[in-house]
Amino acid sequence: MPALAIAQQKNKNYLSREDISQIAKIFDVSESYAYGVATFYTMYNIEKVGKYHIQIDTCVSAFLVGADAILARIEKKLGITAGQTTKDNLFTLSKIQDLASCGTLPVIQVNNKYYENMTIKKTEALIESLKAGKMPESDNSQNIVSECKILLKNRLNPKAKNIDEYKKSGGYQALNKALAMMPADIVGKVKEANVKGRGGAGFSAGIKWSFLPKDDPRPVYLIANADEGEPGTFKDRQIMEYDPHLLIEGIAISAYAITAKTAFIYIRGEFGWIADILEKAIKEAEKDGQLKHLTIIVHRGIGSYVCGDETAQIESIEGKRGNPRVKPPFPANLGLYGCPTIINNVETLSCVPFIVEKGAREFKKIGVSGSFGPKIYGVSGHVNKPGVFEYPLGTPLKTILKTAGGVKGKLKAVIVGGLSVPILKADEIENLNMDYDSCLQANTMLGSGGIMVINDTVSIPELALRTIEFYAHESCGQCVPCREGTQLVKSRLKGLIKGLGTKEDIDLIIKTCQTITGLTLCPLGDAFAIPVKSMVSKFRDEFESLVKY
Amino acid sequence: MITKMIIDDKEVPFDQGQTILEVARANGIYIPSLCYHRKTGQASKCRICVVEVEGMRGLQTACSIQARENMKVVTTNDEILTARRLIVNLLLASGNHDCLACEANGVCELQEVAYKLGIEKPAFIIADKEKPEYDDSSEMIVRDIKRCIQCGRCIEGCNKTVVNEVLDFGYRGHETKVICDDDKIMGESSCVQCGECAQLCPVGAITDKKSIGKGRPWDLKKVRTTCPYCGVGCQLYLHVDENTNNVVKVTGYEGSLANDGALCVKGRYGYDFINSKERLTTPLIKENGKFRQASWEEAINFVASKFNSIKKESGSDAIAGLASAKVSNEENFAFQKFMRKEVGTNNVDHCARL
Amino acid sequence: MTNDIPGIKSSDVILIIGSDTTSAHPVIGSRIKYVVRHQNVKLIVIDPKKIDIADYATIYARQRCGSDVAVLNGIMHLIIKNNWYDKEYVEERCEGFEDLKKVVSEYTPQKVEKLSGIPEKQLQEIAQLFGTAPTASLYYAMGITQHTTGTDNVWSTANLQMLCGNLGKEGGGVNPLRGQCNVQGACDMGALPNVYPGYQKVIDETARQKFEKAWGKKLPEKVGLTVTEMLKAADEGKVKALYIMGENPVLSDPDINHVRKSLEKLDLLVVQDIFMTETAEFADVVFPASSFAEKDGLYTNTERRVQRLRKAVKSPGKSKEDWVILQKLANAMGSDWNYKTACDIQDEICSLTPQYGGITWDRVDEEGLQWPCPTKEHPGTPFLHKGKFARGKGLMKGIEFKEPNELPCKEYPITLTTGRVLQQFHTGTMSRKSQGLNNLAGPMVMISVQDAETIGVSNGEKVKVISRRGEIEAPAFVTKRIGKGTVFVPFHYREAAANLLTNPAVDPVSKIPEYKVCAVKIAKA
Repeated sequence: MPALAIAQQKNKNYLSREDISQIAKIFDVSESYAYGVATFYTMYNIEKVGKYHIQIDTCVSAFLVGADAILARIEKKLGITAGQTTKDNLFTLSKIQDLASCGTLPVIQVNNKYYENMTIKKTEALIESLKAGKMPESDNSQNIVSECKILLKNRLNPKAKNIDEYKKSGGYQALNKALAMMPADIVGKVKEANVKGRGGAGFSAGIKWSFLPKDDPRPVYLIANADEGEPGTFKDRQIMEYDPHLLIEGIAISAYAITAKTAFIYIRGEFGWIADILEKAIKEAEKDGQLKHLTIIVHRGIGSYVCGDETAQIESIEGKRGNPRVKPPFPANLGLYGCPTIINNVETLSCVPFIVEKGAREFKKIGVSGSFGPKIYGVSGHVNKPGVFEYPLGTPLKTILKTAGGVKGKLKAVIVGGLSVPILKADEIENLNMDYDSCLQANTMLGSGGIMVINDTVSIPELALRTIEFYAHESCGQCVPCREGTQLVKSRLKGLIKGLGTKEDIDLIIKTCQTITGLTLCPLGDAFAIPVKSMVSKFRDEFESLVKY
Repeated sequence: MITKMIIDDKEVPFDQGQTILEVARANGIYIPSLCYHRKTGQASKCRICVVEVEGMRGLQTACSIQARENMKVVTTNDEILTARRLIVNLLLASGNHDCLACEANGVCELQEVAYKLGIEKPAFIIADKEKPEYDDSSEMIVRDIKRCIQCGRCIEGCNKTVVNEVLDFGYRGHETKVICDDDKIMGESSCVQCGECAQLCPVGAITDKKSIGKGRPWDLKKVRTTCPYCGVGCQLYLHVDENTNNVVKVTGYEGSLANDGALCVKGRYGYDFINSKERLTTPLIKENGKFRQASWEEAINFVASKFNSIKKESGSDAIAGLASAKVSNEENFAFQKFMRKEVGTNNVDHCARL
Repeated sequence: MTNDIPGIKSSDVILIIGSDTTSAHPVIGSRIKYVVRHQNVKLIVIDPKKIDIADYATIYARQRCGSDVAVLNGIMHLIIKNNWYDKEYVEERCEGFEDLKKVVSEYTPQKVEKLSGIPEKQLQEIAQLFGTAPTASLYYAMGITQHTTGTDNVWSTANLQMLCGNLGKEGGGVNPLRGQCNVQGACDMGALPNVYPGYQKVIDETARQKFEKAWGKKLPEKVGLTVTEMLKAADEGKVKALYIMGENPVLSDPDINHVRKSLEKLDLLVVQDIFMTETAEFADVVFPASSFAEKDGLYTNTERRVQRLRKAVKSPGKSKEDWVILQKLANAMGSDWNYKTACDIQDEICSLTPQYGGITWDRVDEEGLQWPCPTKEHPGTPFLHKGKFARGKGLMKGIEFKEPNELPCKEYPITLTTGRVLQQFHTGTMSRKSQGLNNLAGPMVMISVQDAETIGVSNGEKVKVISRRGEIEAPAFVTKRIGKGTVFVPFHYREAAANLLTNPAVDPVSKIPEYKVCAVKIAKA
């Protein structure tokens, strides 16, 4: 896969069939295999693109804050529609799903650069500048609050990327302490701290580690899941971009604990510049002698949401199409290259230095029973000051919304844990605390902690359509219920919005979503079935009002 | 130790490592499956083999769960049937699955599941499907992509059984499709047309071009025999239309030790000679440089008396015979016996060397 | 094959020499490709053409046509020199090691490079990979046998496998791939001039008496003529009548012009076939026979597996099964054959052929049976020479390299080698009746890029190939897969018959003609 990426880079951002075929030969794989990989990931351009590839995020959160209007303006200005290239080959315009910049929306990606906090005016200026052959600087400021001062403590310190600066505030002390401990003791500590997976599934990291087979001759791999792709989520990049050594220290300790000699950071391909930051930081750490026990490899994704799934990520690192694997076997037993593998989210791993340094007991002092430690919440959508906020688990949603400058307009609904969790109506969030158990009690999930606020200007059927469009686009296509089910739901939602739907369609959507839940090969089926079902059933009247026949 | 589990209240034995699906099949219990095949293994893609396993949350695919001692499995209940119906409906709605002229009618596994579930036509239509693709560029194989259910058997077969490495999945999500090389049409790809993909296809998406319209599976007699080409000895089925006395299709015999169902382009598609109009149908005797038809009696007697007279005049060794690497053992035995015993010479050979 | 097809999966290293496996034996080719791709088995391919399966090889080496003995000796030289051979095995199970060692000691990599064109370093890599493998198997086909040194070649492959202790174990073996569906069975059934069924020698008194007793008639004592000798004898007037059942020497034998001449001289040519073949056209009498689909019986495949042939359709017109015709003819000549079915013949085979003693139609029904299978209870034999060799000790023999009979010269500077393509079979009697197969593969001359440039032809343009014996014309297939100075012509096509060109010189022991090497010149047509 990196070979394909290099070939594309060297050829004006275009991956030609000749190059694919050459690469297949070099790596002794079939042409269809190589072409299959190249066409799975969206960042490979198998069609020629213009000098400036403008991609605008039109996913759910962006939709909430007017990305469509910006898209329309660009289309008008360039005289092309999304998916086309201008005649002079200067611009290619595409819609893109979720760039993990929900706090700084609308966002436009030009080649490898993000332009955040865009407005129509800024967009016009951007295009003018590009026409003049200049990539302008971007403004990516956002609202940051770090209550716990653990995960985002260095977020506002621009120098913290530097290892010396990081060490000044006690960095790498936890690692040194860990290296003097027995690996099993560290696993014990993490287990005791009961740090739950911050990627979305909420499974205890310590317990996951203890699933590794004992006395196994095969090497163990650690993968830091930095594929942050869940719409509404933009937290991991805050750590990686501004405090990379925190993650590296977390990886270094965790790898030592599980006896991994090689660790990967699987970072989504759109975060190219963050990957550069991480690579630089790893070099610094190596030079500083922090990584004698470990090699860390930054592996860039190449455009696929489903690669956030553990097993799809493994396939992707192995250079295959990002198809999730059938479980069992689980990665702890049979993961990367057939070896025991642990995959943890960036935020989860970043909690580890604190646990080692201060102890599990200190960690458990933060948060509430069953949900310990700090959590980064990203708030996007209809709030006055969107941003990322580090609070203890169990903090009331209201508090977080207040930090985000309060709701813009009249609150209609909130999605509290990234797009794949059930939506909550305004009255359901009154006393909601943001921890695992409270969310479950409210019939939703904490997920990734990506909070999307929706006011009464938003049509829920439109929202549901955007939701299913995202998952349909990201479905790997392996299993029938997901591949075809997304199409069915999408077609019915489209029909309803066009005024061609019936009440039976509404029932069909609900029933289909219900059946698909738990039926698919990987969690992606649940990820669309559950939220769409909740949107339709909770706001059924809005859907019914669209029925004309 | 005898291991046993319980499927639908029936106690059944199993071997370590067998999946629930394999155990069920071995014991005559019906669990539908569209992607699993003995040769291509578990894929867990169609999800139609879902069952309920006691102690496990939600439905489980029978093809992916290994049988355990005393495991209790339910193969049919409302939840399972709802799931299966949805899957069949989704497949029917998303492709072109009209059976009337489909070559797979009668052996189609999707049709079979729909039949078992009592689904006559899809419960819904998915409007925005536009995949009108029909690839008949290949000499021997037709791909009707609208009928493809993307089970992946053809790909597994192409890569793992015959290892010709032509097919794979390309694109993603709903756009996913089976591609030849870098998405070439089959006739221009590196495909060697062994037909393994057609043999493994559970529906009518990949079929043998020459057999189209030549007979319904239920009208054809299947006769197992040995391939007449090279020395591998592939086992195959000749599909015979008894009304016309024609072989209209050849498939590999699954499970045979020599070839396990696989064939090559000659064995699978080179059967025209059997029905050829050019076949010799009557004995011929040459007169004045031209052949004329003769009765068996005349031809046999002619040769017999000639042989006898040459034997008498020039001795037995003035006669020689070539047996054949293409006829049966019995016939070769009879030939050398004829030469040695009746003619009286060891001048017998065949083209082993050629 | 000494071993069986399922055993392919038990090899660590596979050597293919002189077999275009994916073209001539595609299903075995697939099995080999499978273990290479998915079980990490290493493959070595040695062939004058870079055949398709070479793409799967760890090492592919291109030898000069006809230099196989030198190559194999070179490999053995290195294996002995580096002590990679199986000393224990050689000591316990073989004899003649010193003789072999003495001969191969001369075949240094330098010398072998000169003789074969395989670079020293590559030969070393081959020897190391093969010699150090726990279990290695060797596959060959006509690329080994169709030489005037064919017997030497075969013996060399056996030397190598004995040296490495690879004979008599699963996943090892010397595995000639038989080219036709029942060529193994025809040999087993004694359709050979020197042996009765089961390789019982006609010159052996006891064997002869056994058959004389069974058949109630005195049998000839002298070894008979081989195909090529028969044709020569016909030309000389010594053979006056020829009875050909299901063969097509006019396309399959070397130097076709000579074959035609010989056939014309016969007093009587009887051809029994399913088609009016090129040979049948020369016949005085033609008997119409049944095809494989119209009869019951047994075939024996390349791994000695005896399998069923089952009747699927009725024979067209008056055509009859070959054994029925033979019975008619025998009885017309005054004999008293009385077989009711082919199965009756099988009963006789069982009683007279030790290897087939336990092989009945019933027993081979599902999976077949591999001979030797001497009794009704015997399970068959997947691989030969287990524990000890049939003859006792395996005989190793030093073999010196000899050049092919006809080498390129000033007038005929190019080496012609012949063989098969995937889509056609042998003389095309069967495969060429399929329009589809014809569309896929027509006549061609495979020619190197350099030679094509020299004579100024491009892909698809007609090229003339001329030897001392004849000439043909066919479209050029210009490819990097063949080396400079060599052309390849498949022998399936009557309109561009490779065997018009080939040299009828034969191996002195096996009498196999040298189809794989002769001298030709080429020109743009």
